[in-house]
Amino acid sequence: MKSKTNQVIIIYILISLFVAIVSHKLLLQYISDSNHQLYTFTKDIIFIFLTGIVFRLVLLKNDNRNISIFEKLKNTNNEIKESNEKYDIVAKATSDTIWDWKIQEDNLSWNKGIENVFGYTQDQVGSSSKWWFDKIHPEDSIKMSIRLYSFIEQKTENWQDQYRFKCADNSYKYVLDRGFLLKDENGRAIRMIGAIQDITKQKEEEQRLKLLETVFTQSKDSIIITEANSLDDKIPNVIYANPAFSSMSGYEFEEISGKPADPFNSPNSDINELKKLLDSIKNKQECLIETISINKKREEYWVRFSMIPIYNSENELSHWISIQRDITDEKKQEKEKEQLIRELTQNNKDLKQFSYITSHNLRAPLSNLTGLLNLLEDIPVENQELNEILNGFNKSTHLLNETINDLAKVIIIKDNPSIQKENVQIKEVFENVLNQLNFQIELYKPIINLNFEKNTNININKAYFESILLNLLTNAIKYKSENRKLKITVTNREIGDNVELIFKDNGIGIDLKRNRDKVFGLYQRFHNYPDSKGLGLYLVKSQVETMGGTIEIESEVNKGTTFTLTFKNKL
Amino acid sequence: MLDQILCIDDDPITLMLCKKVIVKSSFSNEIITAQNGEEALSYFNTIRHVKDKPIEHPQLIFLDLNMPVMGGWEFLDYFNSPEFSEFKTIKVVVLSSTIDPEDLEKAKQYPMVIDFLSKPITRSMLEYLNNKME
Repeated sequence: MKSKTNQVIIIYILISLFVAIVSHKLLLQYISDSNHQLYTFTKDIIFIFLTGIVFRLVLLKNDNRNISIFEKLKNTNNEIKESNEKYDIVAKATSDTIWDWKIQEDNLSWNKGIENVFGYTQDQVGSSSKWWFDKIHPEDSIKMSIRLYSFIEQKTENWQDQYRFKCADNSYKYVLDRGFLLKDENGRAIRMIGAIQDITKQKEEEQRLKLLETVFTQSKDSIIITEANSLDDKIPNVIYANPAFSSMSGYEFEEISGKPADPFNSPNSDINELKKLLDSIKNKQECLIETISINKKREEYWVRFSMIPIYNSENELSHWISIQRDITDEKKQEKEKEQLIRELTQNNKDLKQFSYITSHNLRAPLSNLTGLLNLLEDIPVENQELNEILNGFNKSTHLLNETINDLAKVIIIKDNPSIQKENVQIKEVFENVLNQLNFQIELYKPIINLNFEKNTNININKAYFESILLNLLTNAIKYKSENRKLKITVTNREIGDNVELIFKDNGIGIDLKRNRDKVFGLYQRFHNYPDSKGLGLYLVKSQVETMGGTIEIESEVNKGTTFTLTFKNKL
Repeated sequence: MLDQILCIDDDPITLMLCKKVIVKSSFSNEIITAQNGEEALSYFNTIRHVKDKPIEHPQLIFLDLNMPVMGGWEFLDYFNSPEFSEFKTIKVVVLSSTIDPEDLEKAKQYPMVIDFLSKPITRSMLEYLNNKME
C-alpha cells in the first residue's frame, strides 16, 4: 500500500514537472513580456486542470484495484469461517478425538473428545507429546512409538495404529489412531494431526467372536456349515467344515468344500434315515438321524448327524448347521447291551421254567404223601410206636408241604409283575382273615382293636391282601410276649391318593439295629421257633410291592412291632 | 355215583391213591387207568371199533399234565379234535401238581375241561365234583 502511494506521488510529481516545463517553453515562444501576469495565471490554471485530470485517472485506477482486493479478502474470510464451522460440526458429530501436534515445539492440543471419550478435564490434559505417550498402555507404548517415529522419519502420507489408551478413571480403552503429516517446503515434518477412534466395543466383539470361534475349531464334534438351498431339495453344499470333521471323515475341508454334506456314502447307510433327512431339508426343519457312514480310508463308522436350519433377521433361511458325532463305540456298547439283555431274559426264562418244573416235581410226590396220610386217618393203628412214627411223618410232610406252597407263591408273585386288582372293603377282608384264624384267636384271646376310617375301600388284589393280613396276624400271634396279653391295633387312614394301614402289636419285637436290612429277606429268622420258616415277611413284602405299595417296619425288643403299609388307591 | 371213570397218570402211586379214594367215597363203580395220553387214546380207539354192541365209555377223566410219551396237553389236543367227536360228552378234570399260572389259563381253552385241581385227590374234592356235575 505504501509503495503504491509513493508510486502515485512520484508519477504525479514527474507528470507535474513535465507539464510545468513544457508549458513554460511554449509560453516563452508565443507570449510577450507585457502579458506576464496573464501568462502566469493562465499557466497555473492549465497546470491545475491537467494535473487534476491525470491525478483523478491514477486514483480511479487504484481505487478499482483496492475494491477488488477487498472483495477477494472478504470471500476468503467467509470461506475460512464456513470451514471452521464445518470442522466444529464434524468434530462434534464424530466420536473421534482429534489431536494436533506441532512437532518442533512439541506442542500437542486435543479437541473435546479427550473429555467426552476419555474423561479428562481441560486442566488434566498435558500440552506435550509426553502426556500422550504416558497414557498409552505399557505393553503397547514401545511398539507404538517405534512405528510412529519411523513414520515421521520416512514421511509417508498416512499412519495408523491400535493401542490401549488410559482413561481418567485408570481403565483402558482400545483405540484406533490415524494421522497425517504436514510438511514445510523442505519436506520437513512440522505438524501432525490425528484422530483417535474408540474401538473398545469392536475389540471386545472381536475377542468374543474369537472365543466363540474356538467352539467351532476346538470342538470334538464335527461341525459343518452348508448353503441354505440345494438343487431339488438334496443335501446342500458345504461352506465350511471344522477340523474335527476332517479327523472323523478323513476329508480335508478343501476336499468337500462346495460338495454336498452327505453321510450316506456307504452301501450300508440307512435309506430310511436318508429319507427322513431329505424330508426335513425340504420342509426346512431340524432333524437328527443316525447312519453308518464311510471315511476316506473306506472304513465304516456310525455317525449321529443333525441338521439345524439357521434363519437371518429377515426370517429367510441363510444356511444350515450340521453337527456330527462318531457313535461307533456307543453303537457297539448298545449292541452288547442288547445281547446281554437278550441272554439275561433267556436265562431268566429258563430259570423260571426250571423253578416251575422243580416245584412240580417236588409237589407231585409230596401230594402223594399227603394223600396217603389222609387215607391213614381212617385206619386205626394199634401199635403205639408205629402211631408215634406216623404222627412225626404226618407233621413233617405238612411242614414240607407248607414250605413248598409258600415258595410256589413267591415264584408266582415274581413272575407276575402286573396283577389284577379289584376294589375291596378293608374291613370285610379283615373280618374274613380273622375268621380263618378263629382257632388261634380262641386259644390266645388277644385284644384286637380295629380303627377303620368309615368303610374305606382299597384297590388291590384280594388274594394277596388276604395273604398279607394273614401273615402279619399269625406273626403277631406267633411272636407274642409271654409276660403280657397280646394286643393288636390296626388303623387305616387315607392320605391323598394313598391308603395307609398301620399294624401294631406289643409282642417280643425284632432287634432292628442288628437286623433292619434282613427283616424282609428270604429265609431270615430272628427267633428260634420250631415252625418259623423265614418266609412270611419276604412274601408280604413281595406281595405289597407287586401291587405298587410299600411296607415299613418299626420295632423295639420286648415292646412290640409296627408295620406301616401304603398303597396307591388310584383306580 | 358214576359208572366208569378214567385216570390218566404215569405215577403208579397216584393211580393207587386215586383208586383208593374213589372207592372209599363211592364216586364211581369202575375205575380204569392209563399211563399216558397215548395209552388213553388207544383205549378210546379200541372201544370205538367194537361194533356189535356199544361198550360203555368213561363219564369223567382225571388227567395229569406231565407224563412221558404223551402229556396231558397233547392228549387234550387229540381228544378235542373231530376224530374223537363221539366222545365229546366226556368231561375232563385236570389233576396236576403244577403251579404255573399259564397252565391254568391254557386249560380254559378246552371246552371239555370242567376244572383244574391240585393234587392230591381227596374225598372232599370228589364231593365238590359230585355237586358240580349235578
